[in-house]
Amino acid sequence: MGEVIVVTSGKGGVGKTTTSANIGTGLAAAGHKVVLVDTDIGLRNLDVVMGLENRIVYDLVDVTSGNCRLKQALIKDKRFPNLFLLPAAQTKDKTAVNPEQMRLLAAELKEEFDYAIIDCPAGIEQGFRNAIAGADRAIVVCTPEVSAVRDADRIIGLLEAAELRNPKLIINRIRPAMVKRGDMMDITDILDILAVDLIGVVPEDESIVISTNRGEPAVMDQASQAGEAYRRITSRIQGEEVPLMNLDVPKGIMERMKSLFGLR
Amino acid sequence: MTRAEHVALKGTREGLVLYLDPTADFEVLMKELDKLLKDSVQFLQGASVRCYAGQKEYTEDEHARLETVLREQHLELAGWLTSEEVYVPGKSQSQTTEDKETRLGEEGMMEGSCLFVERTLRSGKSVQFDGHVVVLGDVNPGAEIIATGNIAVLGSLRGVAHAGATGERNATVSAYYLAPTQLRIADLVTRGPEDEADGRGPEIARIKDDQLIVEAAGMNGWRGKAR
Ligand SMILES: Nc1ncnc2c1ncn2[C@@H]1O[C@H](COP(=O)(O)OP(=O)(O)OP(=O)(O)O)[C@@H](O)[C@H]1O
Ligand SMILES: [Mg+2]
Repeated sequence: MGEVIVVTSGKGGVGKTTTSANIGTGLAAAGHKVVLVDTDIGLRNLDVVMGLENRIVYDLVDVTSGNCRLKQALIKDKRFPNLFLLPAAQTKDKTAVNPEQMRLLAAELKEEFDYAIIDCPAGIEQGFRNAIAGADRAIVVCTPEVSAVRDADRIIGLLEAAELRNPKLIINRIRPAMVKRGDMMDITDILDILAVDLIGVVPEDESIVISTNRGEPAVMDQASQAGEAYRRITSRIQGEEVPLMNLDVPKGIMERMKSLFGLR
Repeated sequence: MTRAEHVALKGTREGLVLYLDPTADFEVLMKELDKLLKDSVQFLQGASVRCYAGQKEYTEDEHARLETVLREQHLELAGWLTSEEVYVPGKSQSQTTEDKETRLGEEGMMEGSCLFVERTLRSGKSVQFDGHVVVLGDVNPGAEIIATGNIAVLGSLRGVAHAGATGERNATVSAYYLAPTQLRIADLVTRGPEDEADGRGPEIARIKDDQLIVEAAGMNGWRGKAR
Protein backbone atom coordinates (compact mmCIF):
# COMPACT_ATOMS: atom_id res chain seq x y z
CA MET A 1 0.00 0.00 0.00
CA GLY A 2 1.31 3.37 -0.98
CA GLU A 3 0.92 6.72 0.65
CA VAL A 4 -0.95 9.82 -0.45
CA ILE A 5 0.74 13.10 0.45
CA VAL A 6 -0.99 16.41 -0.21
CA VAL A 7 1.09 19.57 -0.71
CA THR A 8 -0.91 22.61 0.40
CA SER A 9 -0.47 26.20 1.62
CA GLY A 10 -3.56 28.40 1.75
CA LYS A 11 -1.81 31.36 0.19
CA GLY A 12 -1.16 31.18 -3.52
CA GLY A 13 2.19 31.27 -5.25
CA VAL A 14 4.32 30.12 -2.32
CA GLY A 15 5.70 27.02 -4.07
CA LYS A 16 3.23 24.12 -3.87
CA THR A 17 3.63 23.12 -7.50
CA THR A 18 7.40 23.56 -7.40
CA THR A 19 7.51 21.42 -4.25
CA SER A 20 5.23 18.71 -5.69
CA ALA A 21 7.33 18.42 -8.85
CA ASN A 22 10.60 18.28 -6.95
CA ILE A 23 9.71 15.81 -4.24
CA GLY A 24 7.85 13.63 -6.76
CA THR A 25 10.88 13.56 -9.04
CA GLY A 26 13.20 13.07 -6.06
CA LEU A 27 11.21 10.08 -4.82
CA ALA A 28 11.19 8.59 -8.32
CA ALA A 29 14.94 9.08 -8.60
CA ALA A 30 15.26 7.11 -5.36
CA GLY A 31 13.49 4.22 -7.10
CA HIS A 32 9.92 4.59 -5.86
CA LYS A 33 6.90 4.31 -8.08
CA VAL A 34 5.35 7.78 -7.92
CA VAL A 35 2.34 9.60 -9.32
CA LEU A 36 1.91 13.37 -9.29
CA VAL A 37 -1.70 14.54 -9.22
CA ASP A 38 -2.54 18.10 -10.22
CA THR A 39 -5.82 19.11 -8.54
CA ASP A 40 -5.59 22.77 -9.53
CA ILE A 41 -8.46 22.45 -12.00
CA GLY A 42 -8.65 25.43 -14.32
CA LEU A 43 -5.13 26.61 -13.47
CA ARG A 44 -3.03 23.57 -14.19
CA ASN A 45 0.73 24.07 -13.96
CA LEU A 46 2.32 20.85 -12.86
CA ASP A 47 2.46 19.50 -16.43
CA VAL A 48 4.41 22.59 -17.49
CA VAL A 49 6.83 22.38 -14.58
CA MET A 50 7.39 18.71 -15.44
CA GLY A 51 7.75 19.49 -19.15
CA LEU A 52 4.89 17.15 -20.06
CA GLU A 53 2.34 19.65 -21.32
CA ASN A 54 2.28 18.37 -24.91
CA ARG A 55 1.46 14.80 -23.91
CA ILE A 56 -1.89 15.42 -22.20
CA VAL A 57 -4.82 13.53 -23.68
CA TYR A 58 -7.08 12.83 -20.72
CA ASP A 59 -7.19 14.57 -17.33
CA LEU A 60 -8.30 14.23 -13.71
CA VAL A 61 -11.94 15.08 -14.47
CA ASP A 62 -12.02 12.49 -17.27
CA VAL A 63 -10.95 9.89 -14.72
CA THR A 64 -13.27 10.89 -11.87
CA SER A 65 -16.27 11.21 -14.17
CA GLY A 66 -15.59 7.90 -15.88
CA ASN A 67 -14.71 9.23 -19.35
CA CYS A 68 -11.54 7.15 -19.33
CA ARG A 69 -9.68 4.66 -17.20
CA LEU A 70 -6.99 5.84 -14.81
CA LYS A 71 -4.25 4.13 -16.86
CA GLN A 72 -5.24 6.03 -19.99
CA ALA A 73 -4.89 9.40 -18.28
CA LEU A 74 -1.51 8.80 -16.64
CA ILE A 75 1.39 10.42 -18.46
CA LYS A 76 4.80 8.81 -18.17
CA ASP A 77 7.65 11.15 -17.23
CA LYS A 78 10.46 11.92 -19.68
CA ARG A 79 13.26 10.88 -17.34
CA PHE A 80 11.88 8.21 -15.04
CA PRO A 81 9.78 5.28 -16.21
CA ASN A 82 8.46 4.92 -12.63
CA LEU A 83 7.12 8.51 -12.47
CA PHE A 84 3.67 9.50 -13.74
CA LEU A 85 1.51 12.60 -13.90
CA LEU A 86 -2.25 12.83 -13.68
CA PRO A 87 -2.91 16.33 -15.06
CA ALA A 88 -5.71 18.68 -14.02
CA ALA A 89 -8.48 19.66 -16.42
CA GLN A 90 -7.87 23.10 -17.81
CA THR A 91 -11.30 23.89 -19.23
CA LYS A 92 -13.48 22.97 -16.24
CA ASP A 93 -13.71 24.36 -12.71
CA LYS A 94 -13.16 23.01 -9.23
CA THR A 95 -16.72 21.80 -8.80
CA ALA A 96 -16.21 19.26 -11.61
CA VAL A 97 -14.76 16.95 -8.93
CA ASN A 98 -16.01 16.22 -5.43
CA PRO A 99 -14.20 14.97 -2.31
CA GLU A 100 -15.82 11.54 -2.48
CA GLN A 101 -14.50 10.99 -6.01
CA MET A 102 -11.05 12.08 -4.83
CA ARG A 103 -11.18 9.59 -1.96
CA LEU A 104 -11.93 6.78 -4.41
CA LEU A 105 -9.18 7.94 -6.74
CA ALA A 106 -6.66 8.12 -3.89
CA ALA A 107 -7.53 4.58 -2.85
CA GLU A 108 -6.97 3.40 -6.41
CA LEU A 109 -3.63 5.22 -6.67
CA LYS A 110 -2.41 3.70 -3.42
CA GLU A 111 -2.84 0.21 -4.87
CA GLU A 112 -0.60 1.06 -7.78
CA PHE A 113 2.01 3.50 -6.45
CA ASP A 114 4.42 3.90 -3.54
CA TYR A 115 3.66 7.62 -3.37
CA ALA A 116 0.90 9.81 -4.74
CA ILE A 117 1.80 13.49 -4.43
CA ILE A 118 -1.25 15.76 -4.62
CA ASP A 119 -0.62 19.35 -5.74
CA CYS A 120 -3.34 21.42 -4.06
CA PRO A 121 -4.75 24.70 -5.41
CA ALA A 122 -4.52 27.88 -3.34
CA GLY A 123 -7.43 28.76 -1.07
CA ILE A 124 -9.64 26.93 1.40
CA GLU A 125 -12.62 26.22 -0.82
CA GLN A 126 -13.71 23.15 -2.75
CA GLY A 127 -10.37 22.72 -4.55
CA PHE A 128 -8.66 22.42 -1.17
CA ARG A 129 -11.29 20.02 0.15
CA ASN A 130 -10.89 17.87 -2.95
CA ALA A 131 -7.11 17.80 -2.68
CA ILE A 132 -7.03 16.71 0.96
CA ALA A 133 -9.92 14.25 0.72
CA GLY A 134 -7.91 11.09 0.15
CA ALA A 135 -4.61 12.16 1.72
CA ASP A 136 -2.76 10.25 4.44
CA ARG A 137 -0.32 13.06 5.20
CA ALA A 138 0.09 16.72 4.47
CA ILE A 139 3.01 18.97 3.67
CA VAL A 140 2.34 22.66 4.23
CA VAL A 141 4.43 25.14 2.27
CA CYS A 142 4.90 28.72 3.41
CA THR A 143 7.27 31.58 2.78
CA PRO A 144 8.84 33.72 5.51
CA GLU A 145 6.13 36.36 5.29
CA VAL A 146 3.52 37.18 7.91
CA SER A 147 0.62 36.69 5.48
CA ALA A 148 1.87 33.30 4.27
CA VAL A 149 2.36 32.14 7.86
CA ARG A 150 -1.12 33.31 8.80
CA ASP A 151 -2.62 31.31 5.92
CA ALA A 152 -0.49 28.27 6.75
CA ASP A 153 -1.85 28.44 10.30
CA ARG A 154 -5.42 28.51 8.99
CA ILE A 155 -4.67 25.55 6.73
CA ILE A 156 -3.11 23.55 9.56
CA GLY A 157 -6.27 24.15 11.60
CA LEU A 158 -8.43 22.94 8.72
CA LEU A 159 -6.19 19.91 8.19
CA GLU A 160 -6.50 19.04 11.86
CA ALA A 161 -10.26 19.39 11.65
CA ALA A 162 -10.17 16.95 8.71
CA GLU A 163 -8.19 14.46 10.83
CA LEU A 164 -4.95 15.11 8.93
CA ARG A 165 -2.79 15.57 11.98
CA ASN A 166 0.89 16.50 12.31
CA PRO A 167 1.44 18.11 8.93
CA LYS A 168 5.07 18.83 8.01
CA LEU A 169 6.23 22.32 7.15
CA ILE A 170 8.44 23.50 4.29
CA ILE A 171 9.65 27.08 4.47
CA ASN A 172 10.36 28.17 0.90
CA ARG A 173 12.21 31.15 -0.54
CA ILE A 174 14.40 31.86 2.46
CA ARG A 175 17.02 34.51 1.69
CA PRO A 176 19.99 33.89 3.94
CA ALA A 177 21.31 37.43 3.53
CA MET A 178 18.00 38.89 4.67
CA VAL A 179 17.78 36.53 7.61
CA LYS A 180 21.27 37.59 8.63
CA ARG A 181 20.28 41.24 8.52
CA GLY A 182 17.17 40.45 10.56
CA ASP A 183 14.93 41.67 7.74
CA MET A 184 13.07 38.44 7.25
CA MET A 185 10.70 36.58 9.48
CA ASP A 186 12.82 34.24 11.51
CA ILE A 187 12.39 30.47 11.18
CA THR A 188 12.04 30.19 14.94
CA ASP A 189 9.26 32.80 14.93
CA ILE A 190 7.41 30.84 12.27
CA LEU A 191 7.77 27.58 14.18
CA ASP A 192 6.69 29.33 17.38
CA ILE A 193 3.38 30.23 15.84
CA LEU A 194 2.71 27.17 13.70
CA ALA A 195 4.00 24.61 16.23
CA VAL A 196 4.49 21.85 13.64
CA ASP A 197 7.54 19.87 12.55
CA LEU A 198 9.80 21.39 9.95
CA ILE A 199 10.71 19.04 7.12
CA GLY A 200 12.82 21.44 5.12
CA VAL A 201 13.96 24.95 4.30
CA VAL A 202 14.36 25.87 0.62
CA PRO A 203 16.39 28.93 -0.34
CA GLU A 204 15.31 31.55 -2.84
CA ASP A 205 17.15 30.37 -5.94
CA GLU A 206 16.98 31.44 -9.56
CA SER A 207 17.71 27.88 -10.64
CA ILE A 208 14.06 27.19 -9.68
CA VAL A 209 12.87 29.67 -12.27
CA ILE A 210 15.26 28.32 -14.91
CA SER A 211 14.36 24.69 -14.22
CA THR A 212 10.63 25.50 -14.15
CA ASN A 213 10.84 27.11 -17.57
CA ARG A 214 12.81 24.19 -18.90
CA GLY A 215 10.42 21.65 -17.46
CA GLU A 216 13.16 19.90 -15.48
CA PRO A 217 12.76 19.94 -11.69
CA ALA A 218 15.74 21.46 -9.84
CA VAL A 219 16.09 18.38 -7.68
CA MET A 220 17.94 16.74 -10.61
CA ASP A 221 20.40 19.62 -10.89
CA GLN A 222 23.37 18.78 -8.68
CA ALA A 223 24.58 22.39 -8.78
CA SER A 224 21.28 23.88 -7.55
CA GLN A 225 21.00 25.00 -3.92
CA ALA A 226 17.22 24.66 -3.95
CA GLY A 227 17.68 21.29 -5.64
CA GLU A 228 19.91 20.21 -2.75
CA ALA A 229 17.23 21.34 -0.30
CA TYR A 230 14.64 19.26 -2.13
CA ARG A 231 16.97 16.24 -2.21
CA ARG A 232 17.20 16.48 1.57
CA ILE A 233 13.44 16.85 1.92
CA THR A 234 12.99 13.76 -0.26
CA SER A 235 15.27 11.81 2.06
CA ARG A 236 13.32 12.99 5.10
CA ILE A 237 10.05 11.91 3.52
CA GLN A 238 11.59 8.46 3.25
CA GLY A 239 12.32 8.54 6.96
CA GLU A 240 16.01 9.44 6.93
CA GLU A 241 17.45 11.96 9.33
CA VAL A 242 19.29 14.61 7.36
CA PRO A 243 20.64 17.85 8.77
CA LEU A 244 19.37 21.17 7.47
CA MET A 245 21.54 22.83 4.84
CA ASN A 246 23.86 25.49 6.07
CA LEU A 247 21.89 28.54 5.06
CA ASP A 248 23.16 30.43 8.07
CA VAL A 249 19.84 29.97 9.73
CA PRO A 250 19.73 30.37 13.49
CA LYS A 251 20.76 27.48 15.69
CA GLY A 252 18.30 25.42 17.63
CA ILE A 253 16.15 24.61 14.66
CA MET A 254 17.48 21.11 14.24
CA GLU A 255 16.11 20.28 17.68
CA ARG A 256 12.70 21.24 16.45
CA MET A 257 12.80 18.87 13.52
CA LYS A 258 11.77 16.15 15.86
CA SER A 259 9.84 13.32 14.33
CA LEU A 260 10.49 13.39 10.63
CA PHE A 261 8.22 11.40 8.42
CA GLY A 262 8.08 8.06 10.15
CA LEU A 263 7.74 5.67 7.28
CA ARG A 264 6.49 2.27 6.35
CA MET B 1 -12.60 56.00 24.99
CA THR B 2 -15.39 57.19 27.26
CA ARG B 3 -17.14 54.97 29.64
CA ALA B 4 -20.79 54.10 29.32
CA GLU B 5 -22.08 55.67 32.53
CA HIS B 6 -25.80 55.19 32.30
CA VAL B 7 -26.35 51.91 30.52
CA ALA B 8 -25.02 48.46 31.30
CA LEU B 9 -25.59 45.08 29.80
CA LYS B 10 -25.23 42.06 32.06
CA GLY B 11 -25.44 38.39 31.31
CA THR B 12 -27.53 36.66 33.98
CA ARG B 13 -28.69 33.11 34.37
CA GLU B 14 -32.02 34.17 32.87
CA GLY B 15 -30.48 35.91 29.88
CA LEU B 16 -29.32 39.40 29.05
CA VAL B 17 -30.54 42.33 31.11
CA LEU B 18 -30.11 45.91 29.97
CA TYR B 19 -29.93 48.38 32.85
CA LEU B 20 -30.97 51.94 32.05
CA ASP B 21 -30.27 54.70 34.52
CA PRO B 22 -33.76 56.02 35.38
CA THR B 23 -32.37 59.47 36.15
CA ALA B 24 -30.51 59.90 32.89
CA ASP B 25 -31.66 61.88 29.89
CA PHE B 26 -33.13 59.64 27.21
CA GLU B 27 -30.88 61.03 24.46
CA VAL B 28 -27.81 60.24 26.54
CA LEU B 29 -29.10 56.74 27.12
CA MET B 30 -29.59 56.18 23.39
CA LYS B 31 -26.11 57.42 22.56
CA GLU B 32 -24.42 55.24 25.14
CA LEU B 33 -26.52 52.25 24.24
CA ASP B 34 -25.64 52.56 20.58
CA LYS B 35 -21.95 52.59 21.40
CA LEU B 36 -22.16 49.76 23.90
CA LEU B 37 -23.96 47.56 21.40
CA LYS B 38 -21.56 48.32 18.59
CA ASP B 39 -18.69 47.26 20.84
CA SER B 40 -20.18 43.96 21.86
CA VAL B 41 -22.41 43.14 18.95
CA GLN B 42 -20.51 40.14 17.61
CA PHE B 43 -21.12 38.32 20.78
CA LEU B 44 -24.71 39.29 21.14
CA GLN B 45 -26.14 38.69 17.67
CA GLY B 46 -29.59 37.19 17.86
CA ALA B 47 -29.99 37.37 21.62
CA SER B 48 -33.06 38.70 23.37
CA VAL B 49 -32.76 41.35 26.04
CA ARG B 50 -34.92 42.43 28.91
CA CYS B 51 -34.65 45.96 30.24
CA TYR B 52 -34.72 47.46 33.68
CA ALA B 53 -35.02 51.13 34.50
CA GLY B 54 -36.34 51.11 38.06
CA GLN B 55 -39.65 52.98 38.39
CA LYS B 56 -39.04 55.08 35.32
CA GLU B 57 -41.67 54.96 32.60
CA TYR B 58 -40.78 55.79 29.03
CA THR B 59 -43.12 57.25 26.45
CA GLU B 60 -44.34 55.04 23.64
CA ASP B 61 -42.11 56.98 21.31
CA GLU B 62 -39.03 56.39 23.42
CA HIS B 63 -39.95 52.78 23.79
CA ALA B 64 -40.11 52.37 20.03
CA ARG B 65 -36.74 54.05 19.58
CA LEU B 66 -35.17 51.75 22.11
CA GLU B 67 -36.59 48.79 20.26
CA THR B 68 -35.23 50.10 16.97
CA VAL B 69 -31.70 50.60 18.32
CA LEU B 70 -31.72 47.07 19.65
CA ARG B 71 -33.11 45.61 16.44
CA GLU B 72 -30.45 47.35 14.39
CA GLN B 73 -27.93 45.22 16.26
CA HIS B 74 -30.08 42.11 15.83
CA LEU B 75 -31.30 42.12 19.40
CA GLU B 76 -34.84 41.55 20.46
CA LEU B 77 -36.47 43.53 23.24
CA ALA B 78 -38.15 40.75 25.18
CA GLY B 79 -39.77 42.80 27.92
CA TRP B 80 -39.28 44.85 31.07
CA LEU B 81 -38.23 43.70 34.48
CA THR B 82 -39.71 45.03 37.73
CA SER B 83 -37.53 45.77 40.71
CA GLU B 84 -38.72 42.53 42.29
CA GLU B 85 -37.36 40.53 39.40
CA VAL B 86 -34.02 42.20 39.04
CA TYR B 87 -30.90 42.17 41.12
CA VAL B 88 -29.87 45.67 42.04
CA PRO B 89 -26.52 46.11 43.74
CA GLY B 90 -26.99 47.21 47.33
CA LYS B 91 -30.51 45.94 47.47
CA SER B 92 -30.89 43.11 49.93
CA GLN B 93 -32.53 40.72 47.58
CA SER B 94 -30.63 37.51 47.87
CA GLN B 95 -28.41 38.01 50.85
CA THR B 96 -26.53 34.74 50.65
CA THR B 97 -25.32 34.93 47.06
CA GLU B 98 -24.40 38.54 47.48
CA ASP B 99 -22.34 37.78 50.55
CA LYS B 100 -20.62 34.98 48.77
CA GLU B 101 -19.87 37.09 45.73
CA THR B 102 -18.27 39.89 47.71
CA ARG B 103 -16.26 37.45 49.76
CA LEU B 104 -14.94 35.61 46.74
CA GLY B 105 -14.23 38.91 44.98
CA GLU B 106 -12.20 40.20 47.89
CA GLU B 107 -10.12 37.07 47.91
CA GLY B 108 -9.43 37.42 44.20
CA MET B 109 -11.63 34.55 43.22
CA MET B 110 -14.15 34.49 40.45
CA GLU B 111 -17.09 32.19 39.95
CA GLY B 112 -19.09 31.42 36.87
CA SER B 113 -19.44 28.99 34.03
CA CYS B 114 -16.23 28.31 32.21
CA LEU B 115 -15.20 26.91 28.85
CA PHE B 116 -11.99 24.91 28.59
CA VAL B 117 -10.44 24.90 25.12
CA GLU B 118 -8.03 22.01 25.13
CA ARG B 119 -6.00 22.94 22.09
CA THR B 120 -4.41 25.78 20.17
CA LEU B 121 -6.76 28.19 18.40
CA ARG B 122 -5.36 28.74 14.93
CA SER B 123 -6.06 31.55 12.48
CA GLY B 124 -9.72 31.74 11.46
CA LYS B 125 -11.08 30.21 14.68
CA SER B 126 -13.52 32.16 16.81
CA VAL B 127 -14.66 31.15 20.28
CA GLN B 128 -17.58 33.00 21.85
CA PHE B 129 -18.78 32.10 25.29
CA ASP B 130 -21.07 33.44 27.98
CA GLY B 131 -18.66 32.97 30.88
CA HIS B 132 -14.90 32.54 31.35
CA VAL B 133 -12.65 30.96 28.75
CA VAL B 134 -9.46 29.04 29.49
CA VAL B 135 -7.25 27.96 26.59
CA LEU B 136 -4.85 25.10 27.14
CA GLY B 137 -2.65 26.12 24.22
CA ASP B 138 -1.94 29.20 22.11
CA VAL B 139 -4.26 31.72 20.50
CA ASN B 140 -2.63 32.52 17.17
CA PRO B 141 -2.87 35.69 15.09
CA GLY B 142 -6.15 35.63 13.19
CA ALA B 143 -8.01 33.75 15.95
CA GLU B 144 -10.34 35.44 18.45
CA ILE B 145 -11.97 34.82 21.79
CA ILE B 146 -14.98 36.75 23.00
CA ALA B 147 -16.16 36.05 26.54
CA THR B 148 -18.51 37.78 28.95
CA GLY B 149 -16.12 36.81 31.74
CA ASN B 150 -12.35 36.41 31.99
CA ILE B 151 -9.95 34.95 29.47
CA ALA B 152 -6.88 32.97 30.48
CA VAL B 153 -4.43 31.51 27.99
CA LEU B 154 -1.84 29.00 29.15
CA GLY B 155 0.31 29.53 26.06
CA SER B 156 0.87 32.59 23.88
CA LEU B 157 -1.98 34.98 23.17
CA ARG B 158 -1.29 36.58 19.79
CA GLY B 159 -4.83 36.84 18.41
CA VAL B 160 -7.75 39.01 19.49
CA ALA B 161 -9.26 38.71 22.97
CA HIS B 162 -12.35 40.46 24.27
CA ALA B 163 -13.15 39.84 27.92
CA GLY B 164 -16.17 41.25 29.72
CA ALA B 165 -17.82 41.52 26.32
CA THR B 166 -21.17 42.62 27.73
CA GLY B 167 -19.65 45.43 29.75
CA GLU B 168 -18.09 43.70 32.74
CA ARG B 169 -15.24 46.04 33.60
CA ASN B 170 -13.75 43.76 36.24
CA ALA B 171 -12.92 41.16 33.63
CA THR B 172 -9.29 40.29 32.92
CA VAL B 173 -7.21 38.77 30.15
CA SER B 174 -4.14 36.82 31.16
CA ALA B 175 -1.61 34.74 29.27
CA TYR B 176 1.73 33.10 29.71
CA TYR B 177 2.91 35.26 26.82
CA LEU B 178 0.61 38.21 26.27
CA ALA B 179 1.10 39.76 22.81
CA PRO B 180 -2.40 40.12 21.38
CA THR B 181 -3.15 41.71 18.02
CA GLN B 182 -5.87 43.55 19.88
CA LEU B 183 -7.13 43.32 23.41
CA ARG B 184 -10.50 44.48 24.68
CA ILE B 185 -12.03 44.53 28.10
CA ALA B 186 -15.66 45.69 28.29
CA ASP B 187 -15.72 48.90 26.24
CA LEU B 188 -11.95 49.58 26.23
CA VAL B 189 -9.71 48.60 23.35
CA THR B 190 -5.95 48.48 23.04
CA ARG B 191 -3.58 47.27 20.39
CA GLY B 192 -0.83 44.79 21.11
CA PRO B 193 2.60 45.85 22.29
CA GLU B 194 4.88 47.10 19.52
CA ASP B 195 8.00 45.68 21.11
CA GLU B 196 8.04 41.90 20.91
CA ALA B 197 10.15 41.52 24.03
CA ASP B 198 10.66 37.87 24.86
CA GLY B 199 10.72 36.34 28.30
CA ARG B 200 8.45 38.82 29.98
CA GLY B 201 6.63 36.00 31.67
CA PRO B 202 2.93 35.72 32.45
CA GLU B 203 0.96 38.94 32.34
CA ILE B 204 -2.55 40.08 33.12
CA ALA B 205 -4.54 42.88 31.56
CA ARG B 206 -7.26 44.67 33.49
CA ILE B 207 -9.00 48.00 33.78
CA LYS B 208 -7.68 50.38 36.40
CA ASP B 209 -8.98 53.94 36.64
CA ASP B 210 -10.58 53.76 33.20
CA GLN B 211 -7.31 52.60 31.66
CA LEU B 212 -6.48 49.24 30.24
CA ILE B 213 -3.24 48.25 31.87
CA VAL B 214 -0.98 45.21 31.63
CA GLU B 215 1.01 44.01 34.59
CA ALA B 216 3.09 41.01 35.48
CA ALA B 217 0.95 38.27 36.91
CA GLY B 218 2.40 37.67 40.35
CA MET B 219 3.60 34.14 39.79
CA ASN B 220 7.08 34.09 41.19
CA GLY B 221 7.70 30.44 40.56
CA TRP B 222 7.07 30.93 36.88
CA ARG B 223 8.95 34.07 36.19
CA GLY B 224 12.42 33.99 34.75
CA LYS B 225 12.10 30.41 33.70
CA ALA B 226 12.91 30.16 30.02
CA ARG B 227 10.28 28.54 27.87
N1 LIG C 1 12.72 28.67 -3.91
C1 LIG C 1 12.35 29.42 -4.95
N2 LIG C 1 13.23 30.30 -5.52
C2 LIG C 1 12.85 31.07 -6.57
N3 LIG C 1 11.63 31.04 -7.12
C3 LIG C 1 10.71 30.20 -6.62
C4 LIG C 1 11.02 29.36 -5.50
N4 LIG C 1 9.90 28.64 -5.21
C5 LIG C 1 8.95 29.01 -6.10
N5 LIG C 1 9.41 29.95 -6.94
C6 LIG C 1 8.67 30.60 -8.03
O1 LIG C 1 7.48 31.13 -7.49
C7 LIG C 1 6.41 31.00 -8.39
C8 LIG C 1 5.25 30.26 -7.75
O2 LIG C 1 5.63 28.94 -7.46
P1 LIG C 1 4.59 27.73 -7.56
O3 LIG C 1 3.88 27.78 -8.86
O4 LIG C 1 5.31 26.51 -7.20
O5 LIG C 1 3.60 28.16 -6.41
P2 LIG C 1 2.17 27.54 -6.07
O6 LIG C 1 2.06 27.58 -4.58
O7 LIG C 1 1.99 26.24 -6.73
O8 LIG C 1 1.22 28.62 -6.75
P3 LIG C 1 -0.37 28.51 -6.96
O9 LIG C 1 -0.97 28.85 -5.63
O10 LIG C 1 -0.65 29.53 -8.00
O11 LIG C 1 -0.65 27.09 -7.38
C9 LIG C 1 6.96 30.26 -9.61
O12 LIG C 1 7.25 31.18 -10.61
C10 LIG C 1 8.22 29.61 -9.09
O13 LIG C 1 9.19 29.47 -10.10
MG1 LIG D 1 0.36 25.56 -8.06
